[in-house]
Amino acid sequence: MNGWNGRILEIDLTTQTHKSYPLDMEMAKQFIGGRGLGVRLLWDMVGPEVDPLSPENVLIFTNGPLTATGYQTSNRFSVSTKSPLTGTVLDANSGGYWGMQFKKTGFDVLIVRGKAQKPIWIEIKNSEITFHDASELWGMRVFELTEKLGQDNNKRNVLCIGPAGENLSRLAAIMNDRERAMARGGPGAVMGSKNLKAIVVEGTERPEIMDQERFKFLLYETRKLLAASPLTSQALPEFGTIMLMNIMNNVGALATRNHQQTQFEGAEAISGETLSETYLVKNAACWACPIGCTRISKTEKVEGEGPEFESAWAFGAQCGIDDLAAIIEANSLCNDLGLDTISAGSTIACAMELSEKGYLDSDLRFGQADALARCVEDMAYRRDLGAELTEGSLRLATKYGHPELSMTAKGMEMPAYDPRGLQGQGLLYATSNRGGCHMRGNMIGLEVLGLPKLIDRFQVQGKSSFVILNQNSNAAIDSLVVCKFTNMGVADEYFARILGAVTGVQYDTGDLVKTGERVWNLERLYNNREGFTSKDDSLPPRLLTEAPTDGPSKGWVSQLEPMLKEYYRSRGWDQNGVPTPKKLAELGLENLVDPSRTLEKIA
Amino acid sequence: MPNVKLFASLRKISGIKEAAIPGTSAGAVLAELVRQYPALAVHLLDDGKIRPHVILTINGHPTDNLDAALAEQDQIAIFPPIAGG
Amino acid sequence: MIDQRIYEMFREIGQSLYTHTMISSHGGNLSIRLGDRVVIKRRGAMLGCLKPHDLIETRLDKNDSGVALASTELLVHRTVYLNTPALAICHCHPRTAIAYSLSRDEIVPIDNEASYLLKKVPVIYEEFASGTPQMANKVAEVLKNYKCIMLRGHGSFSTGQTLDEAFFWSSTLEEACQIMLFTKQVGEPFIEYRKNSENYGKF
Repeated sequence: MNGWNGRILEIDLTTQTHKSYPLDMEMAKQFIGGRGLGVRLLWDMVGPEVDPLSPENVLIFTNGPLTATGYQTSNRFSVSTKSPLTGTVLDANSGGYWGMQFKKTGFDVLIVRGKAQKPIWIEIKNSEITFHDASELWGMRVFELTEKLGQDNNKRNVLCIGPAGENLSRLAAIMNDRERAMARGGPGAVMGSKNLKAIVVEGTERPEIMDQERFKFLLYETRKLLAASPLTSQALPEFGTIMLMNIMNNVGALATRNHQQTQFEGAEAISGETLSETYLVKNAACWACPIGCTRISKTEKVEGEGPEFESAWAFGAQCGIDDLAAIIEANSLCNDLGLDTISAGSTIACAMELSEKGYLDSDLRFGQADALARCVEDMAYRRDLGAELTEGSLRLATKYGHPELSMTAKGMEMPAYDPRGLQGQGLLYATSNRGGCHMRGNMIGLEVLGLPKLIDRFQVQGKSSFVILNQNSNAAIDSLVVCKFTNMGVADEYFARILGAVTGVQYDTGDLVKTGERVWNLERLYNNREGFTSKDDSLPPRLLTEAPTDGPSKGWVSQLEPMLKEYYRSRGWDQNGVPTPKKLAELGLENLVDPSRTLEKIA
Repeated sequence: MPNVKLFASLRKISGIKEAAIPGTSAGAVLAELVRQYPALAVHLLDDGKIRPHVILTINGHPTDNLDAALAEQDQIAIFPPIAGG
Repeated sequence: MIDQRIYEMFREIGQSLYTHTMISSHGGNLSIRLGDRVVIKRRGAMLGCLKPHDLIETRLDKNDSGVALASTELLVHRTVYLNTPALAICHCHPRTAIAYSLSRDEIVPIDNEASYLLKKVPVIYEEFASGTPQMANKVAEVLKNYKCIMLRGHGSFSTGQTLDEAFFWSSTLEEACQIMLFTKQVGEPFIEYRKNSENYGKF
């Protein structure tokens, strides 16, 4: 078989048994792999009656046909589950090496069901599966555990949870290869609820490529394109994503102090420029990646990967903190404890505002750099206020009577880009299937960076077309699975062709984007089935009614309503945001909403 | 006169972080900037036009229109090609 | 009422098309997709000097009052938008590219820029080369996989996220064809300077 391995591994933690069976190739052709295949399988397995932290929820780890082929960035992989933070469909995506190694074990998908009676960890060596007792390991932090279980980047890879996942923090991440994270939406808590501490993989099978000549040609062309694009060949390797700090601040779209402002006076102090001059050691890359956007930073207390722009923002501008060392340390702590940095930082910021306004009795205030480490630790261990913070900002703010102070969409904390400075981004957050997230179709390329071309960030009419294209295209890329930064040098038409060269299945560019559209619509159906409606396609009131009083975004609020109406129509959905039968038929999804079809039950 | 701020690699290349540069349009200011700091030329201009993916903002508004008129107190920011997540 | 900025974009690119001899006085067309609507040139208008009332906005999937005034090629544009990820379409008559389209099924550029960016441009043929559903479907089908195509003897169709991206592909094609023509006139043996170039025709 070419590209795909063609096999699914299913592990039942309750009975400590496993089985493997063929991957449905018709399904694989329709959904490719990664996020697409993940949601398709999740649709069958986890319905509205399932609590995300119950044994009936599943974790579905997926590769794609390109994984481990050696194509640029063919290291990424995905996990699909129902989110304990939002209750929506969730997929989280990570880089590093684990995905590549898992592909080499001979499987495309790993499904984990049930719940172990006591903590265990799993070892997968090709088709040899071993369950190990993890009682001694329970409580161990990620860095120590990763080393203890024998992490060796190219040969043996550790995926695990830290104390945050064990303690069922709704912001808990699944970590792999020490400091790579599947973080948003709390998948670490799902893993913790199953008493599963780690999954270690070792594999020796390389994927087969149908047309080696064509593959080599496209690999060469991709190398040329990535080298020619200044973003992938200079900006990202030299400065990393944190370079965005000064630019987002300059254009007045850097959310500050829990989105109270759109510019941060301390932006320069926590910028990529400052990092380069102070704590940056070097850059690093994931497997088969020529870009190398990872930062390696060192302070007096920590050394390791990061910080990414979003992490530096969440603990920085969002909390009113301009102490870069403290931010780096908080980021490192999140990696070691297994926590999502964006949600952690933004939840702390929410608590800061609640405290300052007297709604929450605590001494937390904006700007307190020395509070970061304490908060992060308390969140991982459910101590004191941390026990409430670890539930996420929406539950926190609701408890203290002010849900409007939680900067979330569908319960997930939004990242750095303030929608009042970028209209398209607001529409993106409101319609994103996993909640307030920018990695589902980031609009900053078009609205700020001029990639491929600058469009008016304050214009509303027609904006939905761009958002929809981005969302569809991103969903396709997440299903291949490759890194979205490759897309900055390489157009979708290359991905379609490389997929064809590897698998032998002909996809044209339109088919590839349509696959993304299919994935998007299925995710939407999933959420509809869970009870989400068009009312949930919304943003916090602050972004809809409180305009910034100075800066380039002065006077602007998010014009969500007209954009949303146009968005529904353009997607072929009805006015309630429900995909129409016509649209579903066009995407081949009409059978999935047959009411007589029942969900697969756990045997 | 308009104030120009430089970011990322442009700082090291030019040796400065910001400077007041005279000019009544974005293009004119750019040309004068490159005249005063010639090392910037190859990074900012291609045949007299702004290089693609260079980001130029006027008072925080990204623009690709070099003919845009400038007022005395306008703030210009220039970033080399950047991306992120 | 069409947004001023959109009008300016159309006007600027229409002017470029005309001054670069890629269209005749009334030929060619430009359109963009705005959500579930299309903005396209009015029938009989001149791309080289568009006025605000020369742009028509109408629904993507069916006719409304704007359609009576819209270009006869609206069907092609609609079909492309409904079947591909395109958000903008440039249709023009690049002379050298048309000349080349008469004798081959694909144009494979030899200059650096176009071979790098376009790789190859398919040439398709349709008996009734204007306004029919058959032609619209064929154009859309091929545009699903290539951002720029030639309709033999007629002109180019190219797509993009924005109008100037769409224009860029047609413009690159025309430049490539002019270079090919000059190379023929120079008439000296071609020294291959690109690695893997034998694969471009198979892109």
